[in-house]
Amino acid sequence: MTPIRAGVGAALLAVPVMLTVMWIKSADARLEEATATPTEQVAIASAADVGYCSPELKKILRRVLMSCGLMGGDAARGCQPVQAKNVATMSGNDFNALFTPMKERGGIIEFEKNKSELTPEAIALTNQVFSEQKGASWFFVVARASPEGSTEHNRELSKARAEAVMTQLRNQFKDPDLDKEVGMLWLGEEFAQLETTFCEWKRSSKGTCAPEHINRSAFIAWIDCQL
Amino acid sequence: MRPPTWLIVVLVGALIGIVFAGLSTYDFVQHLDRQVHSLHCSFIPGMGAGAGESGCQVAMMSTYSSVFRSRVWGGIPISLPAMAVFAFIAFYGLDLLLTRRTNDRRATWFLALACGLPAFASIAMLTISLAKLGTVCKLCVAIYVASAMVLTGAIIGWRKAVKLQAPEPPATNRFLGIMFGVGVAFVAVPILLYLALAPDHSKFLGTCDNLTKSDDPYGVMIHMDRNASANAVPAIEILDPLCPACKAFEDRLDSSGLGDRLDRKAILFPLDKECNWMISETTHPGACTVSEAVLCAGDRAPDVLKWAFEVQESVREETKKDPAAAGRMVKQRFPELASCIGSADARSKLNKSMRWAVNHNIRVLTPQLFVDNVKLCDEDVDLGLEYALSRIIDAHDRGVRLGPPPAEMPPPPAMPENQHGTTPPSPEKKKAKPAADEPKPLPPAPAPVDEPKPVTTPTETSDKPAPPPPPPEPLPPEEPAGSGGPP
Repeated sequence: MTPIRAGVGAALLAVPVMLTVMWIKSADARLEEATATPTEQVAIASAADVGYCSPELKKILRRVLMSCGLMGGDAARGCQPVQAKNVATMSGNDFNALFTPMKERGGIIEFEKNKSELTPEAIALTNQVFSEQKGASWFFVVARASPEGSTEHNRELSKARAEAVMTQLRNQFKDPDLDKEVGMLWLGEEFAQLETTFCEWKRSSKGTCAPEHINRSAFIAWIDCQL
Repeated sequence: MRPPTWLIVVLVGALIGIVFAGLSTYDFVQHLDRQVHSLHCSFIPGMGAGAGESGCQVAMMSTYSSVFRSRVWGGIPISLPAMAVFAFIAFYGLDLLLTRRTNDRRATWFLALACGLPAFASIAMLTISLAKLGTVCKLCVAIYVASAMVLTGAIIGWRKAVKLQAPEPPATNRFLGIMFGVGVAFVAVPILLYLALAPDHSKFLGTCDNLTKSDDPYGVMIHMDRNASANAVPAIEILDPLCPACKAFEDRLDSSGLGDRLDRKAILFPLDKECNWMISETTHPGACTVSEAVLCAGDRAPDVLKWAFEVQESVREETKKDPAAAGRMVKQRFPELASCIGSADARSKLNKSMRWAVNHNIRVLTPQLFVDNVKLCDEDVDLGLEYALSRIIDAHDRGVRLGPPPAEMPPPPAMPENQHGTTPPSPEKKKAKPAADEPKPLPPAPAPVDEPKPVTTPTETSDKPAPPPPPPEPLPPEEPAGSGGPP
């Protein structure tokens, strides 16, 4: 009788023992195999790089950013009209066309004639557009002046408008990346005047939108391209 | 030698217990390979899957499903000793039959005593399941039934033997002592073998995407442990307030007690394409709004986060129907935040939180925990939490850094022209697809019940660990949202 009892005991003890050993060894083998096999990686967080960021656009953006003090560590921040024209190496219309895909990511901050102070509406739109950075790496401020007045005066006026926007961003957002991501161009009246098609963009003014109005402005937009 | 009915009940109950405790153990042991597996979660032995619809996932992932979790990865599933106890009961029942002791009051009393063990454990586990986990797993229920059967049969047998007053001498103390020893051996041998053979997971510690720096230039980290002790280890958690995996992870961390040894700060990473350009599908509707509320709350951020974890399921559901619902709900609960939520500052801050993730090459999934810059591997956020986290913390306390030295860590993707220098290597042009909140499918738990896993994966986890706990939730990378179409 004793051998039978021992046999029954051994058989039943073997159930948890053998199963445990077998399952653990199997898991161990799979673990070894998995360790040796590269697994599919989860995506890594990255800045945005959308469809319109063609190689050509990136080339121009890179040139503009380099020349305007954002990349390459150059001193001066901002591009003056002549520089912008040379850097872009394209007509004003073509230059403006670069920005058309960014309609939903930008806005036009309008100024009163011969002024460079932001109105409350302009401040609100500036804040709104800038706060929608999402994955964008670069923010452009392209200021202009309408053709009234002297070229030299308009150059200075557009520069003051670009700086007014920059100052607002600096004061509002305290963003440590600001100087690395905001590119400023002031074009005066000399280059790339906006056409009325830009009236369809978000504007700080709800008034009429004649060419002279929309060019008393700072065009702002996030650019969702990686360079 | 025909067995009495009560003994048949005991033997059948023991057999059922062996089968279901075995399935539960199998499901648990499978996960020692650090991979995702489906679970047996049915009253029909061998039938499986459906883990997400049952409490099996929740049960298995809970801290109650195993013991010695800090000593061995995942711990020893309590279903293993359960299986051994049922095997012993089967053996002892057959032994009573073979030695004609079915009318022996002392021998049957011992059987009743032995059967009381799984019955007592079942009552405890059922109570935990209902009170702590809020769910019950089918495998566990089958084990409870088996426990009830063996105890009922054994008590009937003992009562009959007492009434019968059989003339034969009752079992001696020596016999009962030997049987007790055999019972201990039935339980101890499998456990010792488990401890000896379980794979070594310590080699994975510190090998998963550690941080090279933990600065907070944007001031967007949320201090989660306001009362952290001076000796607490600094930690950063990437989380989404509406992510079930994050909630489940929080619960696990809480029940492990290890959270008290951490000084955690959170980086918000909502898996909601409303604000997160890195995903192509919204996994957690409303997460952007709730994240803004957390960032707006300042010192009260942990309170908002706690509320979000509590109501995350309803926020997600309501926001699915009405995109403005999340805003309404959070403003109703925290009216003082109403003017901040949706403001330019709040949006910018949330955006910077995600930019932080970009700058640190963080994977698109939640939750993720970095302890003193050492990442808790995604495979360690559930079953292996106590094992891995306690070792990482201990190493920090000893001044030992796990993983490759910082210099050997992969440098951030080279982006010569990008002064941010943060853009990820970018194999991913596509947006990440939100890895659903479902935690990786986890195996059903042994008798005890527990919760789902996050997963994160990356999965990202739910209130009631109802739906399979999302393992950290991975998301497919994507292109910037709202970038406007072609002219």
